[in-house]
This record gives sequence, structure tokens and C-alpha cells, in this order.
Amino acid sequence: MTALVVALAVAAAGAVAVLVVGIRQRRLVNQHLDRISNRVSGAVAPASRTPVAAVKRLETVLEASDAERQLRGTERRYEAALEAIDMGVVVVDEDESVVYCNTSAGWYREGRHSEAVIAQKIDDLIHEATRGERFTETVTLFGPPRRVLFVSALPIIDNDELSGAIALIHDVTAVEHSNAIRRDFVSNISHELRTPIGAVSLLAETLIGEHDPDVIDSLADRLRVEAERLADTVQDLLELSRIEHGDDTEFTEVVIGDVVGGAHDRVRAAAAQNDVTIEVEMPDRDLLVRGDRRQLTSAVFNLLDNAIKFSNADGGDISVAVAQAHGHVEIEVRDSGIGIPRHDLDRIFERFYRVDRGRSRTSGGTGLGLSMVRHIAANHAGRVSVTSIEGEGATFTMELPLMPDTADNAPNPVNDQSASTAPAAPGESTAAPAAPGKSTAPAERTA
Amino acid sequence: MTEELRKTYHEELESIREAIVRMAGVVGETIPRGTEAFLSGDLAEAQRIIEDDDAIDAMSVELEERCYQLLALQQPMASDLRAITTALWMNAEIERSGDLMANIAQATRRVYGSSIGPRIRGLIAQMSEEAARLVRLAVDSYAEGNSGLAVALDDIDDRLDELHLDAIAAIFESNREHAFDLQVGVQLALVCRFYERIGDHAVNMGERVRYMVDGWLPEHSGALRAQARLAEFGVLPDETS
Repeated sequence: MTALVVALAVAAAGAVAVLVVGIRQRRLVNQHLDRISNRVSGAVAPASRTPVAAVKRLETVLEASDAERQLRGTERRYEAALEAIDMGVVVVDEDESVVYCNTSAGWYREGRHSEAVIAQKIDDLIHEATRGERFTETVTLFGPPRRVLFVSALPIIDNDELSGAIALIHDVTAVEHSNAIRRDFVSNISHELRTPIGAVSLLAETLIGEHDPDVIDSLADRLRVEAERLADTVQDLLELSRIEHGDDTEFTEVVIGDVVGGAHDRVRAAAAQNDVTIEVEMPDRDLLVRGDRRQLTSAVFNLLDNAIKFSNADGGDISVAVAQAHGHVEIEVRDSGIGIPRHDLDRIFERFYRVDRGRSRTSGGTGLGLSMVRHIAANHAGRVSVTSIEGEGATFTMELPLMPDTADNAPNPVNDQSASTAPAAPGESTAAPAAPGKSTAPAERTA
Repeated sequence: MTEELRKTYHEELESIREAIVRMAGVVGETIPRGTEAFLSGDLAEAQRIIEDDDAIDAMSVELEERCYQLLALQQPMASDLRAITTALWMNAEIERSGDLMANIAQATRRVYGSSIGPRIRGLIAQMSEEAARLVRLAVDSYAEGNSGLAVALDDIDDRLDELHLDAIAAIFESNREHAFDLQVGVQLALVCRFYERIGDHAVNMGERVRYMVDGWLPEHSGALRAQARLAEFGVLPDETS
């Protein structure tokens, strides 16, 4: 009897258990459907308890998932658009958690060193923006390479409520660079022209009413010097303009040895006067380029002239090495002078740019020599670059394409050891265009 | 529950690592920035660098507290424990490097107006580049857990040490030629020393990274030498305690 009661109780309990499990399972299915439909429509669907209702809801859910697919497609297109723009984009929600970040911004966010500085700046500005205001900041990264980035963050306001923030990172290095060139050009040219003009007018003023013949002689002589200086500047400006426009260029077969020799002859006197020795190392055979002999000689002359001017006060050594490398001829002018600060390295080919304005009068140059070299190299499909350590001298290298038959007939490089092809020591400017501090004189930077 | 806690714990560990890399990025940027301000006599920029050092200090204090919190609340063991103690060390070394750049910014004022010859300027620029490179490599070794690179830092630092010696020699020479006041010479020598110290801090960072990765402690070799010396005098290690 007892056994029967126990058996019945167990059976009942079993049935209840099955029922409970069944209800629980249905509830789970319903909950799951609710969850899906909530996710799709964002609204709470009415609870349904019958199988028919469940099937109906399933249909709704399937329709909704179509809509979701479309939504995802749109989302992907927007993401592709955000990827394509030349800017870093970071989107955060109201808790400042990142909900979207394009690849460009990812570089900064996951980067080290300079990039980490930008990552910190993005976070800081986003933090400010989530308080409801727009924030912008221009950040200069010293790298190297030196970069200027414009970082801005603005809040996302949705129905008068803050729903997150966007940060934008824009690399404005190139813009800043060309702005600096334009700004400095105007200031430098006025300095170069105004200084001798001021001197001329001052000297002329002093001459008026002066009777002492000795003083008159001395003043007149200084007047002449200043006038010549002014004439030199104007002359060089015209020459530069001619080179830039490619007027009067006569392209012929030119022997590099003649070019270097011609330029060397022109600076001999100045070198002797400054106690500077010039050593020229030429390859055994003639190297031919197609170019304008007068212009090329002028370019090498300017490199030599520059090397002499910036040698130390107690003289120095200049070495010129001509070598063939990869279908090019490299003319390298190395001096042991005062060198060029890293900061100025990528700017010295600009017109009238001077490392030290104070020296411009003592050195006597017009500030256009290197600019001419750059244009001449560009005219000949070549380039000029510089490496330097301040206090240890500078090395300028002009590369020009060799005439095809020369390059073919001489497969073995001559004097290759003398060319600066060795990897640069740390701290020295290196040869790759993207490398720190190295200027490779991209054509037509000056507006 | 435990899994969730562990996850946030590891997230926090990762976040500390990220914060170290960021702080090092800020300090690393200050090196070329401070050098340019020094060499161009830019007093306004020097002032900004001094002020910005406060932000670095604040970052460092916050980081330190986060490390303590993890230590206290999670009681980490083995590699996690080493990661946190390394983060604490890195934090201190980076913060100190930042202070040294602030010192160079202060020196900018002290040498203002004196003309420094191209040779010394060039050497300062090279020391700055070397110091920045060492910091970058130290951070790379930390971020990548690269103990090989960490160990190499000591040798890489030799070049900075050589530049330091050259710079001191150049300062002596300029002083002999009366190129500047003795006071300026002393400031220049200090500036060179600051760069050299930044290099030393980078080497220290390398040692800590090596500890994080391999469990190697820099004191081991010194401790072994001390033991060897004691053994020479016939004192057994046990007797010293």
C-alpha cells in the first residue's frame, strides 16, 4: 500500500516535472524570440504563448532579419566611406567606450612613441567633448620625422541628449610645410633686398654735404659694394627664374669631368683665399649625361662655393667625388665645415632660406645658390640631397641619370668606395626620403 | 563570476601596459622637442616643457596607484606579478627621464644668449637622438616582451656614452678658448649628463623588461660578485647573514 502511494507520488512528481520542464522550455523559446525581435525592431513584442503565434512571430523575425541585413549593408558602406577618407576617425558612446575606429585612427590608437602621444590626445579631447563642447588642437610631433596633426573632437547630440563623441585626426604636415615656405619666402626676400637698399640710402644720405675726399672715397666704395650685392641678388633671381622655366636650356652630351673641372676652376681663387683645399676624385673613364653644360657647371660651382663659405674660419678640406651607381652619376661634395642643424636640413634648398641670417652679410651669398642646384638637378631628371652633423661638416650629393650607352658600357662602378653608399651611423641623416632629417629636395616645393 | 573578475583583471593589466607605452611616448617626444628648444633658445617652448612635465608626473602617480590596487586586490603571482612590478619600475624610469628633459628646459634659460659653437651643438643634437632612440627601443622591448632587445640596450648605450665623453672634451676645449663663461660650460656639461642619464634609464628599463620576460634580476650578477669577494676572504655566504 505504502509502496503504491510512493509509486503514485513519484509518478505525479514525474508528471509535474515533465510539465514544468515543458513550460520552461516554451518560456525559453519565447524569451529567445523576444530577444531576437527586440534586437531587430528595438520594440518589445507582445508575448505569445500559442504555437501559431510563435510561428507568426518567427515570420516577423525573419522579415526583420532581412531589414537587419540591409542595415548592415548600409553600415558597411558607411564604414568603407570612413575608411576611404584621408583622416583618422574614432567614434565613442556616452561612456567614452570606442564603438568605431577606422584603420588610420587605429594606427595612432595602437601605436607607440609619437603615435601614443596622439592616442593620449584623442582620449583627452574625447573626454572633453563628452561634456558637450567641440575641442581642437594642433599637435606637433618631433618624431623624427616631424609631423603636424590636427586633432578635433566633437560631441554627438541626439534628440538634445549627448549620445557620444567623434574624434578626427588630420595630418596637416604638408600644408604646414608649404605655409612655412610661403611665409618665410616673403620675409626672407624682403630681408635680402631691404638690407642693401637700406645701406645704399643711408650711405647716400651720409655722402650729401660730405667734403672730405677720403670719407667720400670710402663711402662711395661701400656704396658700390652694396649696389653690387643688390645686383647679384637680382641677377641670381633672374637666373633662377630662367632655370625654373627651362628657358635657354641646351641639352647636349656633357662629360661630367668637364663640368666638375670647370666648376673647380671657378672656385680656385676663393678656396685659396679662405685657406681651403679641394680634392677631386674622378673615375678613370668619361661619364656622359645629357644636359645643359652651363647649368650643370653652375650647379657644381654653387655646391663648391657653398662648401667654401661654410668652412671653418681656419680653413678646411673639401672633397669632390664622382662615382657611377645604378645608371646614375653621383657628384658628392663633402666639406668639414660648421655643418647644418638638423632642424634646417630639409629647408636649405628653399629660396633665400638661411640657417643663420646673421651670417648672410659676411658670407656674401645671395641665398639662392642651393635653390638653383635643386632646380638644375630637377631639370635634368636628377636630384640633390644633403646629410650633415652640425660641427662636423655637410655632404651634398647630386644625382644625374647617365646617358644610356655610358651606363651600358660601364657595368663596373668606378670609385664606388668613395661614394657615400655606406649606411649612415645612428644620429647621422640617412638617405631614404622618409628618414629623419634627410632632405631629398622634392621638386617644386616652393610656390 | 570569478571568470568575469579575472577578465577585468587581465584587462586592467593590459591597460596598465598601454598606459606605460603612452607615457613613454609623451616623454620620448619631449626629448627632440626639448633639444630643439634648447638649441634654438626658445624660452617659451622651454616653459611649456617644464609645465607639461607636471602632466607626466600626474600620469605617473595615477599609474603607480593602479599598480598598487592590482597588487592589493588581485594578489597576482608569477608572470602577472612580474608584469606589475616591471610596470612600476618602468613608470619610475620614464618619469625620471621626463624630469631630466624638464631640467634641460631649465638649462635653456640659464644658457640663454650665449653662443654655443657648432661642434657642441652637433654633439648635443646627436646625444638627443641617441637618447630618444634608446627610449624608443626600451619601450619596444617592453611592448613586445623582447628580452633580446632589452639585453642589447646596454651595448647600444655605449654610443651615447662615447658622445657624452666627446661633448665634455669639446666643452673643455671651448672653455680653454674662452668661447663662453665657465657657468655656461657647467650648464652645457650638465645638459650632456642629462642625456647620458636618459640613456642609463633606458638601459634600466631593458633590465626590468628582461626580468618581466625571463625572471632575471639585474642584481644577480652584482650579488654574485659580492659573494665571490666574500668567498675570497674565506667568509661563507651563510656567515654573513
